[in-house]
Amino acid sequence: MRIVVFIWIAALISCSQPEKKQPVIQKVSLGVEEMADYPKKLSEWNLFTEPMSDLIPKDAQTFPYEINAALFSDYAYKARFIKLPEGQSIEYHDTEVLSFPEQTVLIKNFFYPVDFQNPDAERRILETRLLIHEAKGWKAIVYQWNEEQTDAKRVILGKKVPVEWKDASGTLQRINYSIPSQPQCKSCHDLGGKLVPIGPSARQLNLEGQLTEWIGKGWLKAEGNITFPKLANYSNANETLDARARAWLEVNCAHCHRREGPAKNSGLYLLASQADPYRLGVNKPPIAAGKGSGGLKYSIVPGNPDQSILVHRITSLEPGEMMPELGRSLNHEEGIALVREWIEKME
Amino acid sequence: MKHLISLLIVLAVACAGPAEEPIQWMSIEADLQTLIIQAQDGDTIDIPAGNYMFENPLILDGLSNVVFQGQGIKETVLSFEMQTGGAEGIRAANCTNLVFQNFTIQDAPGDNIKVTDTEGIRFTNVKSEWSGEPSEENGAYAFYPVLCKRVIVENCLAIGSADAGIYVGQSDCVIIRNNEVYHNVAGIESENSRWVEIYGNNAHDNTGGILIFDMPGLTQSGHTTRVYDNDVISNNHDNFAPEGNVVAVVPPGTGIMMMATRNIEVFENRIHHNRTIGTALASYVLVEALGAEEGSQLEAANQKIDQEYDPYPNQVFFHDNEFKNKHWLPTLKNDFGLLFLTYFTFSLPDFAMDGILPPDKEFVMCLSNNGEFNFANIDAENDFENRSTDWSAYDCDSGTIEPIFQ
Repeated sequence: MRIVVFIWIAALISCSQPEKKQPVIQKVSLGVEEMADYPKKLSEWNLFTEPMSDLIPKDAQTFPYEINAALFSDYAYKARFIKLPEGQSIEYHDTEVLSFPEQTVLIKNFFYPVDFQNPDAERRILETRLLIHEAKGWKAIVYQWNEEQTDAKRVILGKKVPVEWKDASGTLQRINYSIPSQPQCKSCHDLGGKLVPIGPSARQLNLEGQLTEWIGKGWLKAEGNITFPKLANYSNANETLDARARAWLEVNCAHCHRREGPAKNSGLYLLASQADPYRLGVNKPPIAAGKGSGGLKYSIVPGNPDQSILVHRITSLEPGEMMPELGRSLNHEEGIALVREWIEKME
Repeated sequence: MKHLISLLIVLAVACAGPAEEPIQWMSIEADLQTLIIQAQDGDTIDIPAGNYMFENPLILDGLSNVVFQGQGIKETVLSFEMQTGGAEGIRAANCTNLVFQNFTIQDAPGDNIKVTDTEGIRFTNVKSEWSGEPSEENGAYAFYPVLCKRVIVENCLAIGSADAGIYVGQSDCVIIRNNEVYHNVAGIESENSRWVEIYGNNAHDNTGGILIFDMPGLTQSGHTTRVYDNDVISNNHDNFAPEGNVVAVVPPGTGIMMMATRNIEVFENRIHHNRTIGTALASYVLVEALGAEEGSQLEAANQKIDQEYDPYPNQVFFHDNEFKNKHWLPTLKNDFGLLFLTYFTFSLPDFAMDGILPPDKEFVMCLSNNGEFNFANIDAENDFENRSTDWSAYDCDSGTIEPIFQ
């Protein structure tokens, strides 16, 4: 009898297998050599002192920076640095990203503290992205850190990395963190067809005297007495609801959803400076949303977040439906709540 | 023991089923993406015969004079069924003179191939499909060139799109020819595009065969389109577009539909067996009202349209087309079917217009030489009050549009 049961189970398993969707995939080489245009390892860039994982810059021209409103990347923390070439400085711009001299390297490290209640304790760095300003324009490359946290290796194709952390409420979170492929960088870092940095604008960098300090150190050149513009920190409850929601939409959406961005074909523009409600999505039908419409008719229906496609898309986790298209496998609950409240109170 | 054997036999039979040879999927994406990144001006990226599965999108950016090709539609199959990130299977942007040819692409969770901001894009002999039953879960567009100049889509197959099989948006100088499109919501859709030629296509068994639309709030308005020598046959499929998308208002059984477009010549098409409307001409005002919330009025719809946009079709030249319909009843799956049944019971319209005309401009349309056909002006503006089957006001010698490409 035991044998019968055993065979029966074995047969069940073999029967059920063909129904599984996951096909067996055989890796095949096209005989392509690894790319050799940039260092294979992050350590070859000589950016940080040993141990590298402490992320302490090697030279005085490499310095950390902070921004007001950060793009949501599955709750990853980010450590950002600018490496300026010797003797050069950044030029000021009041609305767009500052003008960085050639040979500037922008460095962004993505990491998760093991325990979000104690973020300065143990952490795991997953990737480092470099934006390099060359004579021909900006280049983007991506490095994936090893388990031992001793170095990072260049990746061309996207990678999924399992990661876990204890969140601010003490709950264990587990996701497959997504490192982008090299060409995916430009899916967001695209302004008028050129690869560009997105973050470091005066509006983003204007916090805690950061810009004034840079001027003092000769890193930033700015003429005369400037009142620096400022983008709201969407987490700061002291800012107005409108300023917070618009800042959140700008950093999470407007790199594409602006007149010069890759999503200009949608006619939906979400920079914080956008003044036309229709462009912002109010009573605007979708253009090429497909199932991204979620069966809803307008991007924003004032007073009704549940009928607004915008809310549907920032809440979806389905590829082809979710917004932004890349860089998250989780919902930004705080951001969604903010946008919902903003639409709720909209007249 | 006997029991055991009989049990085994039962199981063996249960398991056998129709034994299809399983497809041997291969992965080449790391190598292929590396090849694409390194491609130089004039290169051909050659994909060998085989079935390839992708988990990431393939991205082509800033390439010029590059050919991306397989060994044939049957030979080289790229599946994006397992893709977990990105909104399209293949994405090309900021390229010049790019060619896609001789392969099949399947089952991306979003669009199959999107090409944006590219000057010179040609698809030839590419099959782009969602396998399995047409479903709302399918991606929106099989071929999706947008914001491009000099676009050719030829000898291609588009199947199963939840929006449009071949969609060209906000583009200039476009040729869509000799393609076969079926089981899409819209077979072919040209939206906000200028100088477009659509000919020699076989659009069958979609919800709507060929659509020429102009939408508000985009980077450009469309005009100047020639649609000729197409077979537009039996486009009676259920509409499976997710609501909210403009094509979700297209009635099943629509052959050709023109919305808010200007300067368009439609001629020598065979428009057969489309159950509800052979050819429809509509303003965006009607479409917006149809798509809007229940109880919404035309006036309210009008207020939602941006100021620079012209919601009315104009300069429509429709001649020498052939209508046939073996169906006696329209499809009753949408308001139009019911409407037509109510008002035009024994003369279902081959050509229907909403009758919403520009208030401040002359409306020019000529219908000529289309054989025997039923006409309907439904007078949507006045709750169908002055609906009419009389087209004598539009019986004029057709204007023509010079061939766009010489």
